[in-house]
Amino acid sequence: MALTMFLLGLLYVGFVVALLSAGAGVGVMLVVIGGMTLAQLFLSDKLALRAMGAKEVSPEEAPGLHAMIERLCIQADLPKPKIAVADTDVPNAFAMGRSQKKAVVCATTGIMRTLEPHELEGVMAHELAHVKNHDVLIMTIASFFASVAAMMMQFSLFFGGDGDDSPSGLVILLASALVYAISFMLMLALSRYREFSADRSAALVTGRPSALSSALMKISGAMETVPQHDLREAERMNAFFIVPASVKGSIKTLFSTHPPMEKRLERLAQLERQLQGTAG
Amino acid sequence: MGFLDGLLGGKRQLKGPAPDRLFAMTTAQVTLETGLGLAHRRKAGIVFQPLGTADFTQIVTETEELLTGSAEDTGTKIETADDEFGYRWLVLEDDEFEDLVVSLNLISTQLQSGGYGDRLLAAVFAFDEGGSPIYFIYNFKRGTYYPFVPSGKQSRDTERELRLKAQIGGELPIEEDASRWFPLWEIPL
Repeated sequence: MALTMFLLGLLYVGFVVALLSAGAGVGVMLVVIGGMTLAQLFLSDKLALRAMGAKEVSPEEAPGLHAMIERLCIQADLPKPKIAVADTDVPNAFAMGRSQKKAVVCATTGIMRTLEPHELEGVMAHELAHVKNHDVLIMTIASFFASVAAMMMQFSLFFGGDGDDSPSGLVILLASALVYAISFMLMLALSRYREFSADRSAALVTGRPSALSSALMKISGAMETVPQHDLREAERMNAFFIVPASVKGSIKTLFSTHPPMEKRLERLAQLERQLQGTAG
Repeated sequence: MGFLDGLLGGKRQLKGPAPDRLFAMTTAQVTLETGLGLAHRRKAGIVFQPLGTADFTQIVTETEELLTGSAEDTGTKIETADDEFGYRWLVLEDDEFEDLVVSLNLISTQLQSGGYGDRLLAAVFAFDEGGSPIYFIYNFKRGTYYPFVPSGKQSRDTERELRLKAQIGGELPIEEDASRWFPLWEIPL
């Protein structure tokens, strides 16, 4: 989500300023934002892969990873996604792509070094669950609505505030700011919910909730020891990562794309108890 | 999938097995043998995810005992192997092809009646063409077969697989979506 916001925000500022100074109306603006959302839908996977320095790998280059994902695909009843590897020490993984057929699953060399095979399997199952649940598509659409609200807000900022005799400019501004804030929060909540969902699906597909738990613990532990410049580099990519690169602070929870680690571990532990038949 | 399921993140359960079409292999084997000259390798296998739960272990043990019991009549040999991906293989060996299919079906129904049908990955039948193997893999989730012809470590003969589809497609429910023809490397058959 951070990436989505970052890219959208960047495009916005440029386009909105350019268009407004050229005297464009609301209709034109809507078309432009719709176009940008579509472009994001179609280009975000390539952009994300490039930002991470990830390369698609063939079965010959990464036979183990391919075979692992193929088996998970049979279990999850999914077509095989493209598989990419990013050469970085940050232990992470993410999924991109607007549809199941166009999906790309990426792992970093760091995560492949850090985790045991069955832990990596849990993480890849989590990313495949994002693919299965159409999370990229849904979050892009969600961000489109937030974008429209934001556009209305910017529009009224430009035209509502320049001293005309109508009070409606201020009302529009306040209303759209409120809409934007609410839709932004809802979007983050939706994202957090979908992370839980993906954890759950991953546990079901592998049948090993505890393997994903130990993977999450290892990754979050390793995250804090990674050098700072790597963390900053990773900051933009948080949205589709399995664990955001920095997890601290409790007020941040509300503004976070991912649920807190303890909550995720707790839910996985509950799944494990259900599986073992020791929970009511 | 309902709208809410879609919005909130998919089905709550792992997909279970499709209606069983495992037995389609029994008739197809006759055609493979007489029509195409492909003899079966007297071996078949089933591969599943072993779960680390007490009742799952018990079901597998019971199934193996059941197989050993019926093996006294049929002469089927059973071997267990764990592969490097953490999956378990039950490999059956029998001169009678039909006994192989019946035994595989026994294993899958045992796991399904124990509530673990969703752990079944695939069943594999091995045939022989000039000394190298041709596999037919049965995907339990989709209830379909697909051919798999390895031509080396990590490489497969897709042309031969497509020809096999054309040759046997009338009798075997072949997976239409070739992107689901997942390889299984180093099949212990």
